[in-house]
Amino acid sequence: MTKRVDLFALSALPAVLYLLVIYAVPLLMLLTRSVTGAEGLTLAPYTAFLSDAFNWQIIANTLRVAGLVTLTCLVIGYPVAFALSWARGLAQAVLLLSIILPLSVGVVVKAFAWQIVLKRDGVVTAALMATGLFEEPPRLLFTETGLVLGAANVFLPFMILPIYSVAKLVDPRLTEAGATLGATPWKRFARITWPLTLPGVISGIAFTFSLSVSMYVIPSLLIGDRFQTLATLTGRSFLLMRNEALGSATAVLLLALAVAVVVGSTWFARRLGRAA
Amino acid sequence: MTAFLDIAGAEKGFGATRVLGGVDLAVARGEFVSLLGPSGCGKTTLLRIVAGLLRPDRGHVRLDGEDITRRPPHKRDVGVVFQSYALFPHLNVAENVAFGLRAQGTGKAESAAAVDRFLTLVQLGHLADRPVSALSGGQQQRVAVARALAVRPKLLLLDEPFSALDRKLREGMQIELRRLLRELGTTAIFVTHDQEEALTMSDRIAVMHGGAIEHLGTPEEVYSRPATPFALEFVGLSSRLPGRVVESMNGLLMVETPLGRLRAPGSFLPGSPVLLAVRPERIRVGGTGEGNAVLAPLTDVVFQGARVQMHFAGADGLPLLAEVSELPSGHLRPGAELPLHWAVRDMLVYPAPDRAAVA
Repeated sequence: MTKRVDLFALSALPAVLYLLVIYAVPLLMLLTRSVTGAEGLTLAPYTAFLSDAFNWQIIANTLRVAGLVTLTCLVIGYPVAFALSWARGLAQAVLLLSIILPLSVGVVVKAFAWQIVLKRDGVVTAALMATGLFEEPPRLLFTETGLVLGAANVFLPFMILPIYSVAKLVDPRLTEAGATLGATPWKRFARITWPLTLPGVISGIAFTFSLSVSMYVIPSLLIGDRFQTLATLTGRSFLLMRNEALGSATAVLLLALAVAVVVGSTWFARRLGRAA
Repeated sequence: MTAFLDIAGAEKGFGATRVLGGVDLAVARGEFVSLLGPSGCGKTTLLRIVAGLLRPDRGHVRLDGEDITRRPPHKRDVGVVFQSYALFPHLNVAENVAFGLRAQGTGKAESAAAVDRFLTLVQLGHLADRPVSALSGGQQQRVAVARALAVRPKLLLLDEPFSALDRKLREGMQIELRRLLRELGTTAIFVTHDQEEALTMSDRIAVMHGGAIEHLGTPEEVYSRPATPFALEFVGLSSRLPGRVVESMNGLLMVETPLGRLRAPGSFLPGSPVLLAVRPERIRVGGTGEGNAVLAPLTDVVFQGARVQMHFAGADGLPLLAEVSELPSGHLRPGAELPLHWAVRDMLVYPAPDRAAVA
């Protein structure tokens, strides 16, 4: 028994070392940098940042966009994950490939592609005009809507795949049993399918949210500099403003917020699952 | 009398394969009917059609005077105990049993009382708060039964509910379930491939083969007078002999077989090829008696506790099987020729089946 445990511990060692050296140490350095002033320990970078109302707007931007991207991915991705788990043979292979293959395309390429799709004479605008609901072409590129649409497209696989991995394990007999017990389709979903797929939903949310809260390239290309998020501000502080204290502080804030939201939503979703 | 459950001309195919070919079945209120047959005979398909989990290509299902053919499963009042039990893994025992009641909008207090009652009925009251994964197979099966019964369905369908249990447990639970359903007056259809299970539990048995019901009758009828060679072969053991009718008079046949001329009840044109059969416990070994008599060498004696099986080799290598409660006295070694005899009325006669159908 002890031997087995030792072996497990040993097999995790490379990963632990790797993460320690290239992730934990720099993170610690970043944290240290953010609380070190000219006269030793200080919280000045944080107080300075948080006392500015404009910066609160940036935090709000970051959380709102990440939240909307996550929500969009969930609404679009959940049914897709189920289609994937029901599909068989060729259909499943094609579906799976069409979800995984886009991951091999760089984010920069995808963001540029979305610029073309979203521009004033692009296909989305043309389609929206064709519905007859719009008097004039709606502006999409360089708007928050465009940003959410583009980012959701990039992060969608990270929502679909965790849900799929759980959905395919849910026994279809369970919903049949629910039906024979008199549960309507909606109740079968709410009381059987949803709670059983919740673990997948939680990891999907955790993936998508942490990716979209810290995205840098996509907002830069789809909305530009006038829309700041914590990630773009961190980049600017280091690259343009040469303000390492500010950059370190916003980076730590971003990390803290992302972790808080992911842990919080996990806790909340678990509670919701238990209540249903 | 109109039947409580009336299935008329139910047909179902998947792609080019016809799984169910126009099945009729009428079940009276409170009756326990088994669908007995090998895998692929269409019994589970028929069950799923009654539950509303499958839609028949043709035909009708009427329950308690209402046509429910096109009604979705949640509006049917038909409970199902699944082969895999299909218990909800995220709910505990009591929550599983309460599921149907809560889904149908029964109040908390009322459903709690019903959960208590049904868990007590299946003797699981003490496990109400356990997660279902902590239960044994037999306990899970009882939870599945309690869950299906708690909503008081008009009809209960059971899809091989005992197949995952070991033999000893299974026999106890069969009798227990039968008693429970009788007490509650629940009408039930029971799918099984286990003939003993069907004989033990049923008011009537429908022997299914190739998407059709071959014989519908009480366990006694199905066992002692199977309607077709398939029903004969599927339920119980028998010795079978091919033959040709040489004489037919007043409902009595004289049939030429490899074992000599045998008499049998029935009416066939002289010259017709027939299949004769006799149940092993109808054959008496040794002594003399009325009816059909043959002399055959003993090949094997198999002691089975309460019964002893004696295998004989008839002419042309046709195996003959006799089952006795006590070994006849005398020297019984393989090769010994013994007289066998059985009553004419115990001889079963069928038109000779096609070769393909027998194999």
